[in-house]
Amino acid sequence: MYAAVKTAALLGAQGHPLVVEVHVGVGIPGFTVVGLPDESCRESRDRVRAALLSSELPWPNRRITVNLAGAGERKGGAAADLAIAVALLVAQDVLRQEDIEHHAFLAELGLDGSLRPVAGAAPMVSAVAMHDVVVSLGNHAEALIASPRHLRAVDTLVRLVSCLRGDEAWPSIAQVEVQEDVCAVADLAEVSGQAWARHALEVSAAGMHHLLLVGPPGAGKSMLARRLPGILPALTHEDALVSAMVHSAAGVESPGALRATPPFRSPHHSASMVAMVGGGSTYMRPGEVSLASGGVLFLDEMGEFAPTVLDALRQPLEEGVIRISRARQSLTMPARFLLVGASNPCPCGDIRPGMCRCSDSDHRRYQRRFSGPLIDRFDLCVHVDRPSADALVHAGGGESTAVVAARVIVARNRAIDRQGCPNALLLHDQLDVFAALTERARALLYTELEKGVLTGRGYHRIRRVARTLADLAHDDDVDQDHVGVALRMRSALIRPYEAMSYR
Amino acid sequence: MTSDLPEWAYAAALASLPLQTHRRLRLLITRGLPSDVWDKISHGGLAIPSLEPHVLHAWSTAVASLPSMMHERCATLHLQVVSLHDPAYPGVLRADPDAPAVLFVRGNLDALLQRRVAIIGTRKATQAGRHFAATLSQQLSTLGVAVVSGLARGIDVHAHRGVERASNDGATGKAIAVVASGIDVVYPREHAQLWEWVACHGVLISESPPGTSPEAFRFPLRNRVLAGVSEVVVVVESTEAGGSMITVREAEKRGITVLAVPGSPTLNTSRGTNALLRDGCAPVTHIDDVLVALGLDTSRQHGFIDARVTPMGLCADVLDRLTGEPRTIDWLAINLAESVCEIAVALGRLEQSGWVTQTSGWWEALLAYSKS
Repeated sequence: MYAAVKTAALLGAQGHPLVVEVHVGVGIPGFTVVGLPDESCRESRDRVRAALLSSELPWPNRRITVNLAGAGERKGGAAADLAIAVALLVAQDVLRQEDIEHHAFLAELGLDGSLRPVAGAAPMVSAVAMHDVVVSLGNHAEALIASPRHLRAVDTLVRLVSCLRGDEAWPSIAQVEVQEDVCAVADLAEVSGQAWARHALEVSAAGMHHLLLVGPPGAGKSMLARRLPGILPALTHEDALVSAMVHSAAGVESPGALRATPPFRSPHHSASMVAMVGGGSTYMRPGEVSLASGGVLFLDEMGEFAPTVLDALRQPLEEGVIRISRARQSLTMPARFLLVGASNPCPCGDIRPGMCRCSDSDHRRYQRRFSGPLIDRFDLCVHVDRPSADALVHAGGGESTAVVAARVIVARNRAIDRQGCPNALLLHDQLDVFAALTERARALLYTELEKGVLTGRGYHRIRRVARTLADLAHDDDVDQDHVGVALRMRSALIRPYEAMSYR
Repeated sequence: MTSDLPEWAYAAALASLPLQTHRRLRLLITRGLPSDVWDKISHGGLAIPSLEPHVLHAWSTAVASLPSMMHERCATLHLQVVSLHDPAYPGVLRADPDAPAVLFVRGNLDALLQRRVAIIGTRKATQAGRHFAATLSQQLSTLGVAVVSGLARGIDVHAHRGVERASNDGATGKAIAVVASGIDVVYPREHAQLWEWVACHGVLISESPPGTSPEAFRFPLRNRVLAGVSEVVVVVESTEAGGSMITVREAEKRGITVLAVPGSPTLNTSRGTNALLRDGCAPVTHIDDVLVALGLDTSRQHGFIDARVTPMGLCADVLDRLTGEPRTIDWLAINLAESVCEIAVALGRLEQSGWVTQTSGWWEALLAYSKS
């Protein structure tokens, strides 16, 4: 009395195919789950029993052993409920092995025999996409993302059994219309004034340059950052897929369909290390860096984050993936995001010369919260000040998101056509090929380097930003003016007063 | 009593007595030679009715070897100790009714024989203010005028940086620094290099014995000495309640001319100086204003030429808008009706030629000094 049924388990942001074996034999009646199940997995025993009984399906009063194969890996979640129930039915000859041969089952069972949605449906379905996959109605839209061979969505165990037997036709699946933007991004036109910061935002979007906004409270830093996804180029199909998988795996805002708008994540500054980079004790979940993959990771009040959490961002910033290693397992999750930081210039926030009320030691303490290596990874550091009355009255609403996005996509396409990647990802040796400087531009950078204001890393970052500025201006060469603007856009790093050298 | 120690060692010992204040010290020093006073203290024969008994008790139980300790300490630190009895005591302070009775000095006191202008101001100065202080002191030094300041952050330190720069070009005006802590206690620490430079090329003065930490109450006291050694006090930037205002009051008490640099009425850093101007101080916008106050001949061409390239076109407009108040790129773009990129490029050029500077997104013009 043996049966094997296919299902899948979740590991990080990826699904893994899994086989549920059931053996029903003689012995004292009982139910054992083996194969390193976690608590919610072990509890499936009670759910499965209740579901079978309330569906008026037979429950064998015998010795039942369930094995989640391979036995060496930890499994969690309730997604195997349905597979266990189906395997029990096969073992009792209610269903034939041929009926389920080409199917995989992914759903949690309710005590009334209904099928319930599970977190991580998309990556799990994609792990068994070569089969016909049975999911609950609630996971239907999410599972479609993974485009399995056939997708079956049913509401109850009873209906599933009759469909598998062929007594009933599979319920037809309503075509899910592709939702363009579930949560629309606010329009950039609502930001008045702030021409300089808006321009920095545009450069950031065009070249994927990490952006640091520094300014007093109420200057509109968050307002600007939240409008960034709107001007970023739409996600490619692959990126959207990656993003949807990660969101599904994390169980947050289960996407109805592939979303073209890049994700925007703004974790609170109390975020823990695990929440930020991913991981977890029993089974690993994707963190904010993975959820932001393909889009924007916005750190408001950056100075308030724990320094260790901020420093953990350095590796994904460099590599575009996050590698998490634990004693039992290690895994890699996507983490190619655009980092946008916002911070006050100092504790009092009023950095206008001669107006700051902070003492020098306040400045120094505040400064120490930002590790130099992290700050150095921002290509753009601009100051945002509270818009003046002039700006509010005369500038009015600025350009709309659509206008800016049109310019951004042209500039981004120039970069992609030229070198196949956004400018921020240009390697050192590619810079001379794709971002060659004119003689005047070279001279300008040389003087800055000589003054000692610019570090070696800064030099390359300026060149990448200048390349993006040239792209936005439809220039083939990176000229003096582009370098000049790029220099200004990086010059506003947070510095204590006295450290500013007198020239 | 070993009497082979010099008088100054006793003076230093008296200054380092516990519970010592500048008034008590003055009382002691005016009683007689430091060694005699010391003897009286250690033998309990000192009778000054205005001194409280607990102070006298603390003094009489002070370490007997204090003079020799101070002798050794000051000798290792190359400190010169001058008391009112010394012929080396600066003449300018001798007439001062509230002058310190004992001075600890590093460097050459001859600097006090030059014409002396104090350049003081707030610690949280604007870049324009710093630039003004540095340029003014550089020019004064070039004309052979000594610059007095307190080596504090902000205006003070830039005043002496200006002297340092002028001195590298062969100027003769010295740097005179009056500090609140002991001369071996550098405060703030980041000024250690300049501190050392002043000791070598000018003079460092303190009324506190070596090892004294920079407690807050010592700064107002220092300001009275600073005012005392100056002929003219120039306040570059100050808030209304700043420490510079204490110096100003001390200077006014002594009948010393106070000049103030005017600033924008909207800036905190100009509140104090503008208030001084309102109260009748003469303004300083050019070195000639200081020279007039010193009674020096201003008709001579002193030949300070602004070597900076005169900005043209948009750069000139930008510089014009920046005069007087710090501005942001956004403000400039709106007021000049130009794109932010154009403004950024112009600011870059101006910064390169030394006309403007920025603090956290705020741009300031560094003023021109040559009279046209």
